Amino acid sequence: MKQKSISLITIVVLFLVGLFMPFILKQYHLNMLTEIIIFSLYAVSYNLLLGYAGLLSFGHAAFFGLGAFVTAIAIIHIPGISLWNVILIGVAATVVAGLILGGLLLRHKGSYFALLTLAFNALFYAVATKWHSVTGGDDGLSITRPNLALGFTSIPLSSLTTFYYLTLVIMGAAIVYCWYFTNTAMGKTVVLMRENEDRMKFLGYNTNISRLILFTFTGALAGLAGVFYTFHFQFVSISAISPDMTTAILLMVFVGGTKIFWGPILGVFVYVIFQNYLSNVTDRWPLFMGLIFVLMVLYVPGGLSGVIMNIKQRFFGKKNNNGDKTAQAEEVIS
Amino acid sequence: MRNYLHIHNIHKDFSGLQVLTGVEFKVQEKERHAVIGPNGAGKTTLFNIISGKFKPSSGAILFKGKDISGKPPHILNRYGLSRSFQITNAFQELSVFNNILAGVRSRYGLRYNFFKKPNQNREICEKVDAIIKEVGLTDVKDQPASSLSYGQQRALEIGITLSTEPELILLDEPTAGMTREETNQAIKMIDQVTAGRTLIIIEHDMEVVFSLASMISVLHYGTILVSDTPEKIRNDQRVKDAYLGEG
Repeated sequence: MKQKSISLITIVVLFLVGLFMPFILKQYHLNMLTEIIIFSLYAVSYNLLLGYAGLLSFGHAAFFGLGAFVTAIAIIHIPGISLWNVILIGVAATVVAGLILGGLLLRHKGSYFALLTLAFNALFYAVATKWHSVTGGDDGLSITRPNLALGFTSIPLSSLTTFYYLTLVIMGAAIVYCWYFTNTAMGKTVVLMRENEDRMKFLGYNTNISRLILFTFTGALAGLAGVFYTFHFQFVSISAISPDMTTAILLMVFVGGTKIFWGPILGVFVYVIFQNYLSNVTDRWPLFMGLIFVLMVLYVPGGLSGVIMNIKQRFFGKKNNNGDKTAQAEEVIS
Repeated sequence: MRNYLHIHNIHKDFSGLQVLTGVEFKVQEKERHAVIGPNGAGKTTLFNIISGKFKPSSGAILFKGKDISGKPPHILNRYGLSRSFQITNAFQELSVFNNILAGVRSRYGLRYNFFKKPNQNREICEKVDAIIKEVGLTDVKDQPASSLSYGQQRALEIGITLSTEPELILLDEPTAGMTREETNQAIKMIDQVTAGRTLIIIEHDMEVVFSLASMISVLHYGTILVSDTPEKIRNDQRVKDAYLGEG
């Protein structure tokens, strides 16, 4: 119970800090923070798949990009569409894609699954590139954000500050739900399946359906992040759906660490901030990002969050008291 | 009288290698049925077929009159059938409590729920504690499975098997590798926890077999040699020749 109240206080404090940010930060940094929040949901959704369920997918950008493109296409082709309906259509499209792809791919395990997801990501990318009349191809699609309709009133989202607040509330709520999810029956089921899928079958769990549900769920979350990505930049290009976007998420998640829920969010902060400053300094920033990734995987497999937890343990001697060995298992149970 | 479980003419071959060649026996409700036989007789294969891990090449398994052969394990578990493994097959990184919780919440239908937290359900937690107590692991319930002693791991294996509250329990060599003293404790525990349920047990240890079983089937090179009460089995010449005589 104590753990729980600490977590709740942390969430409230972070939210309040988030509310004050527009008064403190310059537009440039507020812009960056909005991007960080959007990518955080993308990273958290990916880590539910990789860290919690142990499924290595190289195709997460297919969902992110699908959400992003469907958003732009819906706004362009359906005049006067409301913001909520755009979000609904974007997420619905990724749910459908998740069910179809999951149904096709999930019977394969391990590296076969990983390679097939990569192939599908490449397929989505190819479609986005070639289907010029719909996706704009290399030119991408420009949109303007619809107003936020709240029934009694309508708030224009053209200013960054109002859009930032919308992002904070919706992405924040989705991330908090993901955190809650890791403690639910389904959240625990996916961890147990990672630990011992065979036994789960003999305990009455349909592991194929579980995996399909999780795959679709995390895809839909990535799609939601993609919707906000398009809202944020008011533009979508093929880079949103390219395998590079999958590489980016891998980098963020590995730098932050997969073992702890908030690890990937830390990774996003580091990635976005680094990328912004590095790209100011040198055009070869991807080289340095790549080097950081290699070094992290080789020497700090737990990621930055792992390092922080180690330091915390060393100084405060705080041990897991619930008997589970992995930090992740701990989170899922506490 | 309808048979509770009827293993009917089960054949199994693995790409040409015939492991089971027409296994036939019946188990009545609340019976404690032991399957014995030399190494390589096909006992574990038979268990794998009954519990849904493998599909039989031919034959039928009638559970309360319904053919369940070839059904996947998770469906069979929901019918009330649960099995243990010869080599402990637990969630090694998780605590004893969470190992048992996995099965108990499955039984309560809390498998894929996106909102409910199973460890906040009092009824489920009490059930978990009760099972842990039954198998004698209360003192170590917060320790990870991997830190348990061998005997405790075997007890956990039985606990996990019981966690879905099965009516038909299949135990695959529950006392394998135990010392005599551990075995005696295990027999006592198995006797208690399976009371009122139907039990099928594979065992090498004749002491375990004769102290637990009310019926014995002898599996010998892919078929059932004889299926009878322990007294009859003890005096059966064929069984002596095939199996008991060896010891």
